[in-house]
Amino acid sequence: MRSAGTGMAAVFAWSLLAAGTAAAAEPVQITMWSNWPDEPAKKDWVAARVRDFEAANKQCAVKLSFIPKADIYTQAKSAVRTGQAPDVFYLEPDQPEFLTGGFLEPLDGHVDLAKLEDWAKPAWTYKGKVYGLPVEAYTVELYYNKDLVKKVGVEVPPSFQLTQSGFADLVRKGAAAGITPVSQGVGDRPFPGGLLLFESLLRKLGTEDYGKLLNGNLSFKDPRVVEVMTWLKGLVDAGAYPKSFATLKLGESHYYFYQKPGSLTFPDPSWFTGRAFASPESGGMPTSFPLGIMQFPSMDEGKCPTCKTLAVAGSFVMYARGKNKACAGALLESMATVGNGDKWTEQVSLQTGLKSDPSKINSSHADYFAELNARNTGATYFFGTPLMYYRGKCAETYTQVINNALPAGLIGVGEAADKMDAACRKGS
Amino acid sequence: MAGSTALETEAAPLERAPAIGRVSDPRRASWLVLVVFLAPALVIYLGLTAYPAFRTIFDSLFTIEGSERSYVGLANYRDLLGDETFWIAVRNTFVWAFVAPILDVATGLLLALALYAGIPFSRFFRVAWFTPVLLSYVVVAILWMWIYNYDWGVVNEGLRAAGLDALTRSWLGDPNTALAALIVTHAWKWAGFNMVVCLAAIHALPSEVLEAAELDNCGWGAKLRYVIVPMLRPTLLNLYVLAFIGKMKVFDLVWIMTGGGPLWATETVSTYVYKRAFNWNTFDLGYPSAIATVWFGVVCAAVIVLNRVFKSRDRLEY
Repeated sequence: MRSAGTGMAAVFAWSLLAAGTAAAAEPVQITMWSNWPDEPAKKDWVAARVRDFEAANKQCAVKLSFIPKADIYTQAKSAVRTGQAPDVFYLEPDQPEFLTGGFLEPLDGHVDLAKLEDWAKPAWTYKGKVYGLPVEAYTVELYYNKDLVKKVGVEVPPSFQLTQSGFADLVRKGAAAGITPVSQGVGDRPFPGGLLLFESLLRKLGTEDYGKLLNGNLSFKDPRVVEVMTWLKGLVDAGAYPKSFATLKLGESHYYFYQKPGSLTFPDPSWFTGRAFASPESGGMPTSFPLGIMQFPSMDEGKCPTCKTLAVAGSFVMYARGKNKACAGALLESMATVGNGDKWTEQVSLQTGLKSDPSKINSSHADYFAELNARNTGATYFFGTPLMYYRGKCAETYTQVINNALPAGLIGVGEAADKMDAACRKGS
Repeated sequence: MAGSTALETEAAPLERAPAIGRVSDPRRASWLVLVVFLAPALVIYLGLTAYPAFRTIFDSLFTIEGSERSYVGLANYRDLLGDETFWIAVRNTFVWAFVAPILDVATGLLLALALYAGIPFSRFFRVAWFTPVLLSYVVVAILWMWIYNYDWGVVNEGLRAAGLDALTRSWLGDPNTALAALIVTHAWKWAGFNMVVCLAAIHALPSEVLEAAELDNCGWGAKLRYVIVPMLRPTLLNLYVLAFIGKMKVFDLVWIMTGGGPLWATETVSTYVYKRAFNWNTFDLGYPSAIATVWFGVVCAAVIVLNRVFKSRDRLEY
């Protein structure tokens, strides 16, 4: 009986030991939510970084999911409150509530911040600490179809920048020829309809006053603002945008520009490449497409014709209440290398907030990247888009009025300015 | 004892029954049994319905920023009074709730009458007309976004083919037509449900009354107006109330097709609550909870009022 008891104890002890060994060998699993399920180049880049990390860190495993951005935001907003958010997730700087709510872990102790571009850090800096890994950065560009623009009889000058009246002429000629001048749709996004107006306002006002406008310290009834809005309304009335503008989705507006029916121009952030450089069979740009990049038009008596918006978009953040911060931090640290910055630029043909070495970038879209660099040479950058500044009711009014109603021709300049001032002007 | 009859044997327990009391009454269960059977449903109801409802009412008295909450009393309700977007949403939701059910029920009744009248291929149409009920809102929304598409949608293509180019428009992008376009889509989805209920009710009508009407040379129109519809009144009113409640909470279709735009023309209370809770660059659930609480009260009150208004004083007897 005694020996049987000893035997049972031995078996039990062995089982415990075996379980303990197994637990020790089991890697710590972290969860990661990434955007870009429908953008192959970006998706591949993220998946490759995770694979590299897992290969170099056997003690960590990553459960990676690609989820559309809107769904990430909705799910994360519930999950962070209940302690169930993923260890690492996708976020953009236009969601500051995660920062102010204390749901994000500062990266200072996990990532070597010297590996991030200095201009990109402010997008994620809060109370002196950096909270996001700025993978995706972009400038707002005006893409155009070289052949169609030539066909309607407009010559793009060597500066690649039309004047205010020159752009209006392009719109009129396009509309007269039955070619949609500006491909744009706001069916599933809160910002595209405001790109042309706000880039024009930036060039008209200069960085200082434009910043005041975005911070609610300058009225939309300022004569300069009204002048630009009136110019834009003229373009709208001349037929600048597609008739299906209100329901056209971002992906569809790409297709509209470089496939059917085709348009003269396409204002879009430089993340344009995520969709455009997909294969033509899956809705990407045909390889023979005569793509050009011009500057947004210079405004009459504009204070800053060389101004341009630069912003950080897709980033990865750590959940403050995550249980596996060591692995999560190590994952982000492994992503933040110059080599990975180069790979991002090569594969995605898009700027990055990670430091990179342009001399080592060898892209199959080198011509495109050279043209993008040329359009950005000598640019004066303004950091951030309107929705990175606007919050709550102001952001909603921007979405309904500036993004949709004004470019759709549903509302006049005066009414639009009144609504924006009522929602965004400080002290109103 | 050996000589006792079966009747005597069965009568004995009955005589003892008063002494044992309620427990022996086979129609009454013990508390333990009651608890065992009711507990699962009660737990689910309390956890998933009652608690969230009371928690929402409780949260409406706070401002919640991140993990911190501060008591603000009725401030959220005061803010609501001056919230222009909220009142636009209320107006749109009332239009949905009062107008759309008329369209839903009328369409369902017409389809049911068509089937009752025995139109050709009625078996096929019965299935075809009911099919939209089985589709998810996402599918219905995408389908109708195509139908309303400005460039190649069926509606505009039809108008162009008929030489009515001037009438073509961006149906979902025009504030004057967007809400109506959504209501039509919703009616299309639910017409089949109303049709099935109306058809069942028509078949349940007493044939003597209908035959008597026919013997009196009552035409289809008169029969419909003076016989069928009055006798279907309770069914139609119940369908109306059901549709009313559903439309006071309408969200999915609006969110997918227009997101409340253009210019808040299709904003409903539900989409506004969602925006305030999840799209407003804040974690504050206090204000959206206040909207939800107010609307909960409005829906309850409206249903009570409708039931009173529609309560039939004269019962039909046949």
